[in-house]
Amino acid sequence: MNWDIAKKNFYRQGMRAFLNVLVTALSIISLIFMLSLLNGFQAQATRNLVATDVGGGHYRAPGFDILSPTEWEDHTLKPDESLLRLSNEDKAEVLIQQGQLYPNRRLYPVQIRGISMEQSLLSLPLDNLKLYGEQIEDIIPGVVGVKMARKAHLKKGDILTLKWRDKSGAVDARDILIVDVGDMVNPRVDDGVVWLRLDHLRSMTDRQGEVSWVAVRNYIGPVKGFEFQAVEALMADLLSLLKQDRRNSKILWTILMILVCTSVFNTQILNIFKRQKEIGTLMALGMEPMRIIRIFTLEGALAAIWALVVAALLGIPFFIWFQGVGFDVTHLSESSFPIREIIYPDYQPKEIFYSLLIVVFLVVMAAWIPVKKIIRLDPTLALRGRAIT
Amino acid sequence: MIFKNSLIIFAAYLVLCFASVTSVMAEEIDAQKLLEQLDDNLWANKKFISGRLIIDNGRKIRTLTQDSWMEGATRSYSHYKSPAREKGTKMLKIGGKLWMYTPRTDRKILIAGHLLRQSMMGSDLSYEDMMEDHKLSQAYAATLDRFEEFEGVRCAVLQLQAHDKKTTYQTRKAWINPTNKIVLKEERFAKSGKILKRILYKDYKKIDDRLFPHTMVFKDMLKENTKTTYKFDVIDFDVEIPARYFSQSILKR
Repeated sequence: MNWDIAKKNFYRQGMRAFLNVLVTALSIISLIFMLSLLNGFQAQATRNLVATDVGGGHYRAPGFDILSPTEWEDHTLKPDESLLRLSNEDKAEVLIQQGQLYPNRRLYPVQIRGISMEQSLLSLPLDNLKLYGEQIEDIIPGVVGVKMARKAHLKKGDILTLKWRDKSGAVDARDILIVDVGDMVNPRVDDGVVWLRLDHLRSMTDRQGEVSWVAVRNYIGPVKGFEFQAVEALMADLLSLLKQDRRNSKILWTILMILVCTSVFNTQILNIFKRQKEIGTLMALGMEPMRIIRIFTLEGALAAIWALVVAALLGIPFFIWFQGVGFDVTHLSESSFPIREIIYPDYQPKEIFYSLLIVVFLVVMAAWIPVKKIIRLDPTLALRGRAIT
Repeated sequence: MIFKNSLIIFAAYLVLCFASVTSVMAEEIDAQKLLEQLDDNLWANKKFISGRLIIDNGRKIRTLTQDSWMEGATRSYSHYKSPAREKGTKMLKIGGKLWMYTPRTDRKILIAGHLLRQSMMGSDLSYEDMMEDHKLSQAYAATLDRFEEFEGVRCAVLQLQAHDKKTTYQTRKAWINPTNKIVLKEERFAKSGKILKRILYKDYKKIDDRLFPHTMVFKDMLKENTKTTYKFDVIDFDVEIPARYFSQSILKR
């Protein structure tokens, strides 16, 4: 009974009801889009970082900090037997040293990264390094990323000087041949990084068998002499950035919800003002104020339900289309975000369900708050249209 | 005919004499001793230098003026007087440590370890180069490589090999005038043998009983169009240096 009356009243509102539904539906679509895009961004960044740098975590030389380049040389050591026993699919040994590159005879400080050629845990475009032997011949083969190549004006086949220090602190310099310019995906392993064979870097720096860290697929428990850094710790800066982004998105989400609620709230106030004679008549005929409130609230709830339907009708095709084209974030390629140029939303059903539940709840509340004053309405005044002025 | 033959024999005799003198000269030079004599000439117990550091990075030339007080090879104190940006900057070297004070931050910083390898104020010298605290004859074993004409002077080219594998430059070459025991040119090499730095010592003048260069030109051979010239306007040997100059308390405004 209540439902039928509410339905009839709702449809009678015409354009006002339609606009409410449309605003709410568009807000729902925006909300889902925003959340899914952030999810997609995080998922893709995590995937790229894990595939190119982090793996399942690092066993690092104690005290090694990638943000303290002047101390890298003090934190290298030989891996424990338990790490060496891991297969090449499950580990990647990495040695990092400071260096100075001289493209066009200009100084360019770089991070020299040596990685074992047998490893297959990390996905890096270093195949051309495998063409060279363990012993360094006249020239050292090296690979740089696209970003590094662009910044330092390097291209495949360039020969330039690389300077570094050996373990004792003696300075050394040799010519390096850029054997490839690879798409590194992750700027952290691209910008300012020169990739060498691990055996070459070890022999250049007199650090036989030493590493700065060993990236592993899975945590294998405590290892003597090494400290383990989990994926979350290695991505802490990115995760905190995304956390901040989510916090910021909540502000936008709140603004959207305020708009939706204001729209519903406004409609309800207008409804009870215009329909006070109808309310007075229903009360005079003996309808309880609580029932009248329920009817009006149901009208608001109907707006929420229709908004869900319209959001599904407009949103699903949009989301399907967008999943195909993705979101171009070319502008981020100059930043340190480990992301490709197009990101794709990641839709989380549970997250969408809870978001919709919150939207429906807020709309129902926005529909209920203005009509609850009906309980205090004087039917005689309402019949004369003077109860609410 | 007899006269002609005598002339040929005499000429041959002269050539032989000259050749034997030259070879005796080459053989008689004790490279290590020459290096020690060079050090004795350059290193005074106490000295004061007022000079200019002219840094040419290929695009811009900056001139820094400084006063330096040095005691042996291990202690020195420098005070920068200009330009305005560097005015009041002080550097104190004691043994293997270097402190730097900048009036803008009003803080002293210990430049140690890897920081010493950074370029000093954008010049072709690193802090490490600047605070070199060992005599060449103590850090390197010298061998005579060859004789070579350099700027009209017949120089003994000494090949220097570091005793310690921790020495920054494992090999050097020095062009030394064996007559007056002065160095005219020096080259510093990487372990691989690649040339890294070239230093020219110019404008030698006699101060007291020493011959001292008044201009040193440092060139980073890996860079293009850059050089750093160190010009000494005033040099005084065996000066009295107040004790506070070699104390950290000097590092303040």
